[in-house]
Order: sequence, then C-alpha cells, then structure tokens
Amino acid sequence: MDSPCCSKTRNPFTGAEANAVGVHVDKVSKTYSGVSVLSNISFDVQPGEIFVLMGPSGSGKSVLLRQIAGLERPTAGSITVDGQDPSLEETRDRVRLALVFQAGALFNSLSVYDNLALYPREHRSGTEASIKERVMHALRILSVEDAAKKFPSELSGGMKKRVSIARALVMEPQLLLYDEPTSELDPVMSATISEIIATLKNEYSVTSIVVTHDRSLALTIANRVGILMEGKLITLGTPQELRDTKNPKLVDFLYPKIDLQNPRFKKLETQETP
Amino acid sequence: MNTTQQTARVGLFFLLGVALVWVTFETLSDGKIFEEHTKTLIAGFGDLKQLKTGDEVRLAGVKVGSVAKTRLAGRRAEALLQIDPKVPIASDASASIVMSGLIGGNYISIDMGSSGAPPLPDGAEIRTVETPDLNTLMSEIGGLGKQLQDSLGSFSKALNGDGKAGGGIIQKLDKLVTDNSSRVDATMSNLQEITGKINRGEGTLGKLVNDPKLHDELLATVAEIRSTATQAKEFVSNAEAMMDQVKSGQGPLGTLVYDQKAADDIKASIANIRSVSDKLAKGEGTLGKLINDPGLYNNAQVTIKKVDRALDGLSDSGPITAVGIVANALF
Amino acid sequence: MKQLYAILEGVGSVVQLLVRSLSYWATIPRQRARFIEQCYMIGYTTLPIVAILSFFIGTVLALEAGYAMSDFGAKEFIGSLVGLSMARELGPMMTAVLLAGRVGSAITAELASMKVYQEIDALTTMNIPAAKILVLPRLAAVLVMMPVLIIIANIVGWFGGSVVARYVSYVGISPEAYFAALRHYTKFKDVMNGMEKAEVFGFVVVLVCCDIGLNTRGGPREIGAAVTRAVVVSLILILVLDYFVTKILL
Ligand SMILES: Nc1ncnc2c1ncn2[C@@H]1O[C@H](COP(=O)(O)OP(=O)(O)OP(=O)(O)O)[C@@H](O)[C@H]1O
Ligand SMILES: [Mg+2]
Repeated sequence: MDSPCCSKTRNPFTGAEANAVGVHVDKVSKTYSGVSVLSNISFDVQPGEIFVLMGPSGSGKSVLLRQIAGLERPTAGSITVDGQDPSLEETRDRVRLALVFQAGALFNSLSVYDNLALYPREHRSGTEASIKERVMHALRILSVEDAAKKFPSELSGGMKKRVSIARALVMEPQLLLYDEPTSELDPVMSATISEIIATLKNEYSVTSIVVTHDRSLALTIANRVGILMEGKLITLGTPQELRDTKNPKLVDFLYPKIDLQNPRFKKLETQETP
Repeated sequence: MNTTQQTARVGLFFLLGVALVWVTFETLSDGKIFEEHTKTLIAGFGDLKQLKTGDEVRLAGVKVGSVAKTRLAGRRAEALLQIDPKVPIASDASASIVMSGLIGGNYISIDMGSSGAPPLPDGAEIRTVETPDLNTLMSEIGGLGKQLQDSLGSFSKALNGDGKAGGGIIQKLDKLVTDNSSRVDATMSNLQEITGKINRGEGTLGKLVNDPKLHDELLATVAEIRSTATQAKEFVSNAEAMMDQVKSGQGPLGTLVYDQKAADDIKASIANIRSVSDKLAKGEGTLGKLINDPGLYNNAQVTIKKVDRALDGLSDSGPITAVGIVANALF
Repeated sequence: MKQLYAILEGVGSVVQLLVRSLSYWATIPRQRARFIEQCYMIGYTTLPIVAILSFFIGTVLALEAGYAMSDFGAKEFIGSLVGLSMARELGPMMTAVLLAGRVGSAITAELASMKVYQEIDALTTMNIPAAKILVLPRLAAVLVMMPVLIIIANIVGWFGGSVVARYVSYVGISPEAYFAALRHYTKFKDVMNGMEKAEVFGFVVVLVCCDIGLNTRGGPREIGAAVTRAVVVSLILILVLDYFVTKILL
C-alpha cells in the first residue's frame, strides 16, 4: 500500500486522500426517561489517535459510543466528528465511520460474504471482483475466510465478533469505533485485534475509539485512556499515568483482588438453603 | 434457494398474471376473438324500456342471440339483435320486450311465427309487439284510481251541487215540492171559487141550480150533482186534510219538506256522503289511500326503480360493495 | 389525547418513510435482486393461500346468493353477483387481508428484529438508508405482484362460485348460465377497479408494516408486539381505505 502518512487517510473509493478526523465531546449528558446515564462528559480525540474507554459494566460506555456514531443524540451537550454532528446523514456521507457493535449486529438474512460486501456494493465502490478481493482480504486478516458462505446464525460468538470487525474494516473507515472488540476472543485473537488497531493508526491514520474491559489491550495500544464510572469520566490520561495512579478506586478497578472466600456469597448460599 | 430459480419463478408468475389479465380482458370486454359470425335483425319499438346492450334474445324461450346495440331512429327506438345465423327467424314472427322476473332484466322474446313463412335475411326488420311493462301497469292502476275519484266527486256534486248552478238533486227535490204546494193551493182556491159561484146561482150552472122551475126537473140531476158536489167536497176536504198534514209536517212528503230534524238528517247524510267523497278525494282511509295516495303509487314506482337500480348497479359502476350488492339486490 | 398524538405520530412517520423511500426510486434497477426476492415473497409464496381463500369466498358467495335469490326467482344472477363482488370488493379486500397477515407480519417481524438486534443501526452507520434497501424494494414488489394475485384470486373465486352454482341442489345453475351472467354484468373495468383498490391496499399495508417494524424499540418481546400491531393497524386501514378508495374510484 501507499507510504504511511500521519495525518491523511486514503479514500479507498476515489483514491483521494482525506484528512484524519478528530472527535470532540463537549459536556455530554444523556438521560433515558429521567434516569441519568451520562453526565457532563467532555474529552477530545485527536485525529489518528487511539482512545480507549474503560469502565465497569453499565457505566455508559456503549451509550457514549452510539452517540459518537450518530445513532443517538445527547440529551445535553454536543458531539462533533470532524467538526460536524455525526447524527446528520451529510456528515456520515463525508466521513466514513464504522462501529463494531458489542453484539456484532450482523445482518442475519445475509451470508457473511454479503454482510461484508453490502457497504461497498451500496456505495458503488469498485467492481464485483475488486469488492470480492477486499472482502476476502478482510476475512483473511481475521481468520474467518472459511465462514464466507455461512450465515450469522451458523457462527460462534467469537466468529461473529471477528466478522463484525472485518465488516468494519471493509468500509475502510476514517473513524473506527470498537465496542468491546475482544470480549469473546481468545488471547491470540485479542492480540491480532490489537495489531489491527495499531496498524490502521500507523499506516492509515485511522482514528480509533476502543471500548474494552481488557486492561492489557488498553494499556498496550492506547494513546490515551478514559475511565467512565457511573456515567462520569473520572480520569483521562496516558497508559503510563494510569499504571502509576494511586487513586484507590482506579486501582481497585484496574487490579481487582479476588477473594475466593468472599463472605457475601456464603451469606447468599445460607439464605437459599432453607 | 438458488437466485436464478427464484427469478425464474417470479418471472413465470408475473407472466401468468399478465396472461390471465389479458384473457379476462378479452372475455369481459366481449372481445371479438371469441365471437363468430352473426346475423343482425332490427327491432323497432316505441319504448325500449330497460332493455340494454347485451340482453338476451330468445326464440320461444331459447337463447339465440343478444342485443348488440340500442339506438334512436327518428321517432322510435331500435334494438339491433345479433342472432345465431343457424337459427331461422320467420318473417311473420314478432318480437317483444319481456321481463324475466320481478328482479330480472329484460330480454327480447321472439315467437316462432308461422311454419310456412320464409326466414328473415340479415339486416331485415322484425315485427314488434309493444307489451306493457310493470311501470305502465302501475301507471294504469294509478289512472284507474283517478277515474274512480272523479266519478265519486261528480256523484257528490250531483247530490249536493257545487254551490253555484241551481243546486243538486236534493235541492231540486226541495224546490219541486215547494213549487207544487203553491200550485195545490191555487187549485184549491179555484175549486172553492167555483163552488161559491154555483151556490150563488151565478153563471149557467148557478142559474140552473137556482131556477125553481128547473128545480124539480133537475132534482134528480141536482141530486146527482149534489152527490157529485159532495164527492167534490170530500175531495176538497181530503185535499185540504192532506195539505194540512203536509203543512203540519206529517207523512213522508211533509216530513221531507217541513220537518227540520228530517231535513237535518238529510243534510247530515248528504254531509256524510260528501265527507266520504271528500275523504276519498283527499286520500284518507284505506280505499282513499289505495286510490289517491301518491305514496303508494310512488312506492310501487320506487320498488320498480330499485329493482332497476340493483340491476344497473350490477352492470354499471354503481356503489357496489359486498353489502351493497346484496342490499341493492334484495331491497 | 395521548392516543391521538400517537396516531398523528404514526401517520407522520409513515408519510416520512414513504417520501424517503420514493426519493430512492431511481435505485430500483440496481436493487433488482432484492426486488425479485421480495416479489417472490409477496407474490409467489402468497399465491397458494390467496387461491384457496378466493375459491372458498367464491363458493360462499354463490351459496348465499343462491339461497337469497332463489326466493326472487333470480338465481340466474348468481354469476353476476359473484363476478362483481369478487372483482370489485372481495378479491382485493381478502387478498389485502391475507397480505397483511402473511406478508405484512413477516415484514414487520423481520424489520423489527433487525431494529432490535441493531442491524438497522449498523445500516445507519454504513450510511445505507433502510428506506432504500429494505422498504423501497418491498413497495415496488407489492405494486407489481398485487395485480397478479388479484387476477388469480378473481378467476379462482369465480370458478369456485360456478362449482357451487352447479352442484348445490337448491342453486343448480349450469356453468354456462353462471358465466354468461358473470360476463354480462362484470366488465373489465370492474376488474381494473378492483386492481387499483388492491394496489392501494397492498402499498399501504407494506408501507405501514415497514414503518411499524422500523420503529420497534426494546427487546425481542417488542418484536411480537410490533407484529400484532402491524397486522391490526393494517386490517383497520384496509377497511377504512376500502370505503374511501371505493368512493374515489366510482
Ligand atoms: N435504550 C436505553 N434505554 C434505557 N436505558 C438504557 C438504554 N441503553 C442503555 N441504558 C442504560 O444505560 C446504562 C449504561 O448502559 P451501557 O450499555 O452504556 O453500559 P456499558 O458501559 O456499555 O456496559 P457493558 O460494559 O456491560 O457493555 C445502563 O444502566 C443501561 O441500563
Ligand atoms: Mg456496552
């Protein structure tokens, strides 16, 4: 491929280069029927940066990611992608944006191959042959080329995840949002995902926002890490700063102690026996 | 499923649809492809009534063709009949418009004609007979009612008079009796005068009666005359008694002429007759309604019209819904 | 008040979806495969049930008409009654009802599950409008398939009527007489009229079912609720539209 460039992404359809895109999150709050899920979140993601978002389950990571992808609008505050509202069709038209859904969100009525080919076909980028090349390449990267003819219902959870990531890759996005890309994968596959994210950044200046529970992944690939707890961004820093943190809340979150004799569950058991 | 197979099935399915639409079109639009050569006859009527294009033509009840067209030709209406060319129609056969049932449409009925008559050629005109249809029948019944009403009206007029020209029978009878009573009076006084003169010996008869010479001669005669006079007296007194009776309101004629109550009775019965005829004229009561109620007649008309409409609805683009059809047909 | 608002919201949503879908009409040739697939679903696979139902509607019509009309001595008109009611009213309406039950529910179920399992969201992030690839092919397919279904429904229904007319003892009309009356009173314009009606019904049913599916929120339980709602709304709309379309087409 072309020589790497740090601030330009190559448009795979026209061959033209485009600016790497940044994300601007400004005082975002989100409530669902009165229940606050996110409150007053602000951060910037620089063009070509890998931003990792961590936090306990239910802290609002997926909700935030969906808003950055333009699927939902914040209740208060604003989000811009490359300076524009991502929920507008024009923005998504201009900025290629891909979201790897936590649950995969593969098209169940389409084969794996057609799942990947849908985007280039609908946007008329290249001939059927070139699309096939692209699709198979993406499937090979994630080692799921054997599943090309299968349907999503015939895949294992991890395979679905990988197909979902492959589908995002085929879109050759400028901004890639991953919602727990490695949650269902073995350590080898997780490593592959890390490599992919890093390569996209280094070779194509793809901006990535990665939501993950995987501490090692986060600390290896991230340029910066944000930690979300109960809808609030409690810390924002480099992996090094995070490793050095003395904040007991963060230490507990990042390095949880496992107590095999936790009295809480003993109590539960006794409650259940009578 | 294989995509090409799916495409083929959809294609086949679509073509089947197109073919069926075409067949339906040809069948329902009387497409000429299914029609064979036919013979045309012209039937002229004063009124085609509800005959429509497409109605059947039956020869002695057997369908032999259909009405191809209806048109006006001068002062009459013509139906062009398309007849199976294999069926000969006798030249003296006659066509009439017949209703095929109360709810039914019309058809043209052709009779056999005589056996020896030559068949009508293509384009010939067939003899026609006008038959009353239900509508004319109903209007005739209506006319009948009108006539009955008129005659009852003139009957009551004859009895009572219309208030202008001299009165009716009752009034005339009244007048007659009154006139006669004055004449009877005059006759009576004449009679009295004559007998008075006779008594006073005036005139021939008086002298004769009063001359003593003639007295004896004439005694017998006189006796005879006397008896005659007695008889006359009796007559007169009878007449007087009769007049008295009449005057005092006794006897049928007296009652008729002088009795107030009887007169009232007569008047009342005349009034009754009048009110009956008035009622009839106004259309009250069952009979009156039968005769006079335009509603009844209208109802009959409306019923006929509804039946018509039901049929029209069936063929025209009437407001036919599933319910509509059934309702139109049934009510 | 809340309900009225919900209805208005629904109408607005449907109209929006319609406008958005139609704005992509030029892409139909490129969506040939999807169009054919939907034609297959809407037309081909619906045919058997439409044929069976129409046959029995025809028989019941002839039976009822025969029963009622024999009193009037008007049995000959069974053919015209079955012919007209099938062509103008029952063919289009029953086909639309079947479409709502069989195709509409399937559409709603599919789109609702796509919505619930975030497939629609995936399409959105890909900037592929659901209106374009999910709704438009279905609308085009129903417009093309409806007349085919209707003509088959009509012919099968007419045939069903003739069977009853022939074999039920108190009716006892020969097929020739039956079809003569049918041909006499049923004009092709009646059939066309029914087809236009059916096009409206089919189009609205598919559009509304798509809209309800795409607006599903929540989890799998809501998919079932959406399907029920789509079918109920479709049936109501068919009957309400029937009145107005009939009036307009007269
Ligand atoms: N559509 C919604 N309606 C109402 N509440 C919602 C909705 N989506 C998310 N929530 C709530 O928002 C909170 C955050 O949800 P979110 O999915 O963002 O969590 P998360 O951080 O992604 O958790 P996990 O790590 O388990 O994926 C949860 O409490 C959830 O119940
Ligand atoms: Mg999540």
